Amino acid sequence: MTSTTLRSATTSRARVSTFTLKLAMAVTGWLFALFAAVHMYGNLKAWFGADAYNGYAHWLHNALYPLLPRDGLLWIMRIVLAVALVVHVVASLVLYLRGRRARGRFRRRGHNRWAAATMPWTGLLLLAFLTFHILDLTLGIAGAAEYRAATADESFAYQNTVASMGRPLAGAAYLLAMLVLLVHLVHGLWSSATEFGLTGRRTRKAWKVIAYVLAIGITVGNLTLPIGVWTGLL
Amino acid sequence: MTDLADTTIDALRQVGRALDPGVPDVAPDQAWAVRRSQHRLVSPGNRRHFRVIVVGTGLAGAGAAAALAELGYHVDAFTFHDAPRRAHSVAAQGGINAARARAVDNDSVHRFVVDTVKGGDFRAREADVFRLAAESSRVIDHLNAIGAPFAREYGGSLSTRSFGGVQVSRTYYTRGQTGQQLQVAAAQALLRQVKAGRVTLHTRHEMLDLVVADGRAQGIVTRDLVNGQIRAHTAHAVVLATGGYGSVFHHSTLAVHSNATAVWRAHLRGALFASPSFVQFHPTALPADSPNQAKTTLMSESLRNDGRVWVPTHPGDARRPNEIPEHERDYYLERRYPAYGNLAPRDISSRAARVEIDAGRGVGPQKNSVYLDFSDAIARLGRATIAERYGNLFAMYADVTGEDPYVEPMRIAPAAHFVMGGLWSDFDLMTSVPGLFVGGEAGSSYHGANRLGANSLLSACVDGWFTLPLTVPHHLAGLLGEPVLDSDAPEVAAAVASVRERVEALLAVGGRTRASSFHRELGEVLRRGCGVSRTEAGLRAALTEVSALRERFWADLWVPGDGGRLNQELESAGRVADFLDLAELMCLDALDRTESAGAHFRDEFQTALGEAKRDDDRWCSVSAWEHGSPPVRHHEPLHFSAVPMAERDYR
Amino acid sequence: MKLTVEVWRQESPADAGRWERHEVDDAASHLSLLDLLDLLNDQIAAAGGEPVAYESDCREGACGACGVTVNGVPHGPVPRTPSCRQHLRSFDGATRLRIEPLRSAAFPVVRDLVIDRSALDALVTAGGHVAINSGTASDAEALPIGHDDAETALDFAACIGCGACVAACPNGAAHLFAGAKLAHLAMLPQPALERGRRARAIVDELEQRFGPCSTYGECAEVCPAGISLAAVAAVHREGIRAWWRGRDD
Repeated sequence: MTSTTLRSATTSRARVSTFTLKLAMAVTGWLFALFAAVHMYGNLKAWFGADAYNGYAHWLHNALYPLLPRDGLLWIMRIVLAVALVVHVVASLVLYLRGRRARGRFRRRGHNRWAAATMPWTGLLLLAFLTFHILDLTLGIAGAAEYRAATADESFAYQNTVASMGRPLAGAAYLLAMLVLLVHLVHGLWSSATEFGLTGRRTRKAWKVIAYVLAIGITVGNLTLPIGVWTGLL
Repeated sequence: MTDLADTTIDALRQVGRALDPGVPDVAPDQAWAVRRSQHRLVSPGNRRHFRVIVVGTGLAGAGAAAALAELGYHVDAFTFHDAPRRAHSVAAQGGINAARARAVDNDSVHRFVVDTVKGGDFRAREADVFRLAAESSRVIDHLNAIGAPFAREYGGSLSTRSFGGVQVSRTYYTRGQTGQQLQVAAAQALLRQVKAGRVTLHTRHEMLDLVVADGRAQGIVTRDLVNGQIRAHTAHAVVLATGGYGSVFHHSTLAVHSNATAVWRAHLRGALFASPSFVQFHPTALPADSPNQAKTTLMSESLRNDGRVWVPTHPGDARRPNEIPEHERDYYLERRYPAYGNLAPRDISSRAARVEIDAGRGVGPQKNSVYLDFSDAIARLGRATIAERYGNLFAMYADVTGEDPYVEPMRIAPAAHFVMGGLWSDFDLMTSVPGLFVGGEAGSSYHGANRLGANSLLSACVDGWFTLPLTVPHHLAGLLGEPVLDSDAPEVAAAVASVRERVEALLAVGGRTRASSFHRELGEVLRRGCGVSRTEAGLRAALTEVSALRERFWADLWVPGDGGRLNQELESAGRVADFLDLAELMCLDALDRTESAGAHFRDEFQTALGEAKRDDDRWCSVSAWEHGSPPVRHHEPLHFSAVPMAERDYR
Repeated sequence: MKLTVEVWRQESPADAGRWERHEVDDAASHLSLLDLLDLLNDQIAAAGGEPVAYESDCREGACGACGVTVNGVPHGPVPRTPSCRQHLRSFDGATRLRIEPLRSAAFPVVRDLVIDRSALDALVTAGGHVAINSGTASDAEALPIGHDDAETALDFAACIGCGACVAACPNGAAHLFAGAKLAHLAMLPQPALERGRRARAIVDELEQRFGPCSTYGECAEVCPAGISLAAVAAVHREGIRAWWRGRDD
């Protein structure tokens, strides 16, 4: 083609492809979603009493012992999730910048897709909440005054959680974070159908149902905790 | 301004010689095979030394450029569009004919030829039509293979449907977007060759002149529409596949930028122009709602498969169509042509509609249309079947008119559509300028005085994919070792200078009227004088009016802006200027041809039943015009041996 | 009907561009968007100005030449309809129209509303074709194609190449266009023989010229050919397939 009509490609080739980054986000996103689902399942044990909850927490610390050292499973999960988090966040940042550059000077306005449009912001909020959540309930640094770290023989996860949720600000943050998570998960899980290349009409519909069920399930399950604490049921 | 009312025809034109199209002297069904065996070849290793220019990237141009490049020639392809996929071939909705004759409806190559020659009212070259029929099978195979998703039966075989003017089912289609699918496939094939480096694609380049040196076509002059640069490109041969000029009528079914400039410029450089007045009026266009509308919208003729055409029996009936009882409707096509009914050929359908409209039985707010009614078909086949066949056409109709064709009949009207006329070419598709070839609607040889539906996509494909790739090399073989014309050659400089002068002249008129306004006026003049039916007095009046309009054009034209960048007003002015010249030749050709044939209907020459009355003793020939003052009319005598000459009878 | 039309004017690709405001007094409701631009141009020219440059050709929704952004929406307010088939009667009584080019960094403005969409053709050039030369194809009926497969292939092949999908995308992605081409050719037996290398070529070109897809779904909302969002997924399906198989077919 002539130079007047066909501009040369605008970006260099030496980079991780958008294709790979999108797939990486979909895979890591699902990792988080599955982790969140398991985490929510654990949270529900609170409804069976402090012993069930603490026992589960204790079990997590000692799972597969002696095949794994104490806390081995937790560390494996922590490392995998931390790596996934870095991949997910870095990829999203790169894609966000690429999207802005590809769009150019005139932003698209007037569209109505707030779930997709707000992914970077819901993502950042979740990142902030996650930091607080770990400081609060894993490390206890931002925890409630009554925070007690787990020992080799027992865990105080239930007491810590109830104490944490009992603080109005922390409880509200938790509630808000769960709603943000819902939005982020619904769009993320649904759009992963695209990243995984699902083109069938019925497959895509089924995928959408799965995305909604999973996202709503996680959110509702988790939300029973603060609500239980506030209503005094926990 | 001269009044031509009393001028004799001999003062308006000279009579030239008889032309020889170079058809081998054998039976017409054998002619192409014999001719092919005479064609010289270029060995594969030598092909890359040849450069061929292909102007136009529609179905014919993209096919020719791709096929020549596949063979190993270097091709420069030009389009004034931003992308090859945009060519007007995309607008052909109904389908593409092929004489594959798979179904047992007794179709055959011979029957295809009979239908096409008869449909063209015996003004086509029989041997060319045999080529069209013979190559048609491969066209379907090829386009299917390169990506056109033809409609299929549940058993996996290709679907076909019927079209106007035939009694068999030989039209292959992809819903209502056949042209678009074929065009996209052809454009893809072209871009494949761009990737391979054998085609250099020049988009947004308009051809404004032909370079002729040593008596043969050796290049073109283009204007880059983005930056206004005017320059020459030289090559060993030039192919024009620049489409039709029905848009000379302003309101036509053609795309708004379709034009005659490339073929007209070639004509001015010596290429003979065949049958310029042979214009087909499409019977199923949508009526214009206002004079300012840029064009009329085409509805596929395939609609006539299931729709019934009617008008109210009483002139001026103001009732809604569904309130008019059955016995007050005149299904005039079924009444007048019981054998073909609503599938009567285009020219007959258009003229019949014009008769009804002129008699005051037209319908719609402007009383300029007739009804096309699907209620019977919907009752018989169900809405779902009709929606599958014509869904996008119905949606388009609803868009344009705001009316629902599932509920109320469509309103349709004849509109200028396809031109059978174009550059005259020999059996090899070479024009009277050696080295200048023509393909698709820009040419003239297949359709005679009237084209059958779904034959235009076919002729574009046969020319592009299967004919030009044999005939262009035959010309090139004689030029082995010759370099392309130097860009400093005096012929090149002269052509470039004349294009510059002309562009400057258009910019310098300095009047007050935009080109589009002249175009609109020209359309009115032609519709009145050189339209669905013509008379001597009307044609003489049109000649006078066109010449007056041209004088006014060059005195009062206003082209805003300058020539150094994208200027659509300037592009339009150049095209309208050429339309004005062409319109004069169209009227002259129609005046000169004292017979009716196909779409060329002279009121003076009709049968007792009001059908076209040919004069085979005097006019069994193609008129091919040479530019001059006055123009010279040469003629190519036509002979028919496979199809016995007869009066067309669709009753 | 009286309309206020704000239209984008830009002399050349390098020019910054600006909005120009016009009042159109007699905009009848049966006018199409392009008829309105014609009317506006008559008015501008009558006042001695240069008409607004815009593209259109077939005006039937088949060629893909037209396409302007109206009040922020590519092609105009009627969903899945090209600019040439948008009629004022369907504009919900809007009295103010902001008309600008289809926007994307991949589509530089040539002049006024005319843009350069050659980046789309670059995708087709990269791999959107079939390696069969003229005359060498096998019989079209040698390989049966099911009715539904042909129809589905046509659903994707229906793309008219207008570029509205890119302009609708907040990320400037062209996945709907690229995916439609990939899905169309993957469904047909002969074109499918080079699925793998086609996918790699087109996905690679897509990377170089366009943005990432975030599944906004805006593209499918404006697509005049009604291409479904499944086309976007087809980019990944074909890409993953090609990567996993590591072959050209």
